[in-house]
Amino acid sequence: MIDARHRVVVTGCGTVSAIATTAPAFWEALLAGRSGIGRIPRLVAAQLPVTTGGEVTAVPPDRADRDVALANQAIDEALDAAHLHRDGAAFIWATGLDTYQQGEQGPVFRPSGSCFAALSRPFREPRRMIAAACAAGTQAIGEAYWNIRAGRIAACVAGGSSCLLSPFYIMGFAALQALATDDGGDPCTACRPFDRRRRGFALSDGAAALVLESLEAARRRGAPVLAEVVGFGMSQDGFDLNRPPEDGRGAVRCLHRAVEDAGLAPSDVDAVNAHATGTLVGDRAEAAAIRRFFGSDWKRKAVSSLKGAIGHAMAAAGALEAVAAVATCRTGLVPPTVNLHDPDEDCELRHVIGRPHEDDVRTVVSTSFGMGGQNAAVVFRRFP
Amino acid sequence: MTYLVAAALRRSAVAGPDAGPRQPRDFRRFNLPVQLALAAAAEVVPAAQDPTAMAVVSLAPCHNGSPELYRWVQNADTARSRGATAPARMNPTYTLHVIDNLALSAFVIAHGSDGYYLGVGGAPGQAWCGLEAVRERLDGGREREALLMAGDQGGAGDALDGSGVALLFSVRRTAYAPLGRPVELLAIERSPRPEPQPVSAHAAEGLCALLHAVAHHGVGALAYEVPPQHTDGIDRVTVRLRVA
Repeated sequence: MIDARHRVVVTGCGTVSAIATTAPAFWEALLAGRSGIGRIPRLVAAQLPVTTGGEVTAVPPDRADRDVALANQAIDEALDAAHLHRDGAAFIWATGLDTYQQGEQGPVFRPSGSCFAALSRPFREPRRMIAAACAAGTQAIGEAYWNIRAGRIAACVAGGSSCLLSPFYIMGFAALQALATDDGGDPCTACRPFDRRRRGFALSDGAAALVLESLEAARRRGAPVLAEVVGFGMSQDGFDLNRPPEDGRGAVRCLHRAVEDAGLAPSDVDAVNAHATGTLVGDRAEAAAIRRFFGSDWKRKAVSSLKGAIGHAMAAAGALEAVAAVATCRTGLVPPTVNLHDPDEDCELRHVIGRPHEDDVRTVVSTSFGMGGQNAAVVFRRFP
Repeated sequence: MTYLVAAALRRSAVAGPDAGPRQPRDFRRFNLPVQLALAAAAEVVPAAQDPTAMAVVSLAPCHNGSPELYRWVQNADTARSRGATAPARMNPTYTLHVIDNLALSAFVIAHGSDGYYLGVGGAPGQAWCGLEAVRERLDGGREREALLMAGDQGGAGDALDGSGVALLFSVRRTAYAPLGRPVELLAIERSPRPEPQPVSAHAAEGLCALLHAVAHHGVGALAYEVPPQHTDGIDRVTVRLRVA
């Protein structure tokens, strides 16, 4: 049995996303299969090829410090839930890419490093900023987990935030043919993970924070325990900057490393919170990776993606998905993949379609596969 | 035990078609900070016993982007203010310039590394987080070698004053070539400053200054107090080394 000092638990969660502004409401909306993707007037006005996205309306889009405000909202919720203050925790966070907020005099440049610096006081050290593309949020949680497990810190706020819904990034990702361009249909259906008609992802804003601490520290404080973190793994595709290998071999290595780190076997995992963003190549490679990882067991393992509901929040994506994975461990429920109606035969998996999967799910792996080939996965387990 | 095995600095006072560092043709499509980091890393990799298994810690530039991207943003905004229709097409190559840790991915593709990796963001003082991660991995016995690399410039719209740096560490007691003596990394110590200090966000300059201090130090213990502008402004940081 691992000593309580080296067991790591989640004691608080906070989220801000296109579907909800608190973690409980976020989970409720996911189970209900709601989508937060919509038409965004300022993108329509700019006559962009993509006018849909996952806008967070809780913080006005023209607020100059929107990046900081979004992150702070999630961080404060998580700390309140854990009954902890900032000076009682380390801070490992992904703020993603620099933002271009629309100001009165034109686009205002907001470096992501400045956002991190504004957030990091008065957290304890280490105050570590993670930069790993779309895998950054998951990597931040994994780094926090390893640091607590090693006994270097007792508690840490980990997660990520992203504020990229601007013409600049819309044009950039559209140029990479990664975004679902407008087709005249319902904007809510823009992103369709694993579906035969998928066309790319919907860019979104958001933030999510988790308070991780040693079981010993949580017990000493009488903090509520939401789930246990039991493993973390990472890998690099080392293949191509813009696409994964078709067989998803980098992702497979990442998944194996995560469960080995947890002292588990693939058969011990009940469900996967998939990265699946709705791109043609990425979803196919990820499905191949999940099938290879589980072997003949894959037909029994529930797989769900949140991107149809909340879009792709980049540095925040992995953290938002981790919050959902924690809720799955607590409730045993896996939320459905919104907009998945006709699974692509190349993406064959045990998908969760239409309504939540109810099967007393206890162990969940949450995955992120970033642009450039940076992969990360965290394993959560029900506590006790 | 963590030893500094090799280090490289690359600077580019003026970036132009022929002024960049020499490196594989494929790297030329990257923005200057990434090119400089990769060029510095390429210099130290030959000193590694197994680049495929070493830990790779890469510091992102303090600003994503490049002069090309900056110009696109400005042009698009100007066009929009004049009532133009859809913005001009963006060159897909330039979109690579916004990837927050492009150097890490490009390095891994070039050298086949598949060990521990950490992409550290471009906030002030993160270089010392990267150095701490290197020490955690090597002292924890997880890897036998670790690369720490960074590239940066004055700003995303500024192709001047770029620098790249790479440091290779090992658990093996090996002489650091420029000194001909082993240089052991003993500790990175932090203590809170009474008052926040002004800082300068630049991913590479702090490590360049550390290497300069090592190069000009004689034999014995070195307690390198990181200048406040190279920290996060919150902590006083001291890097303890010993030149054997």
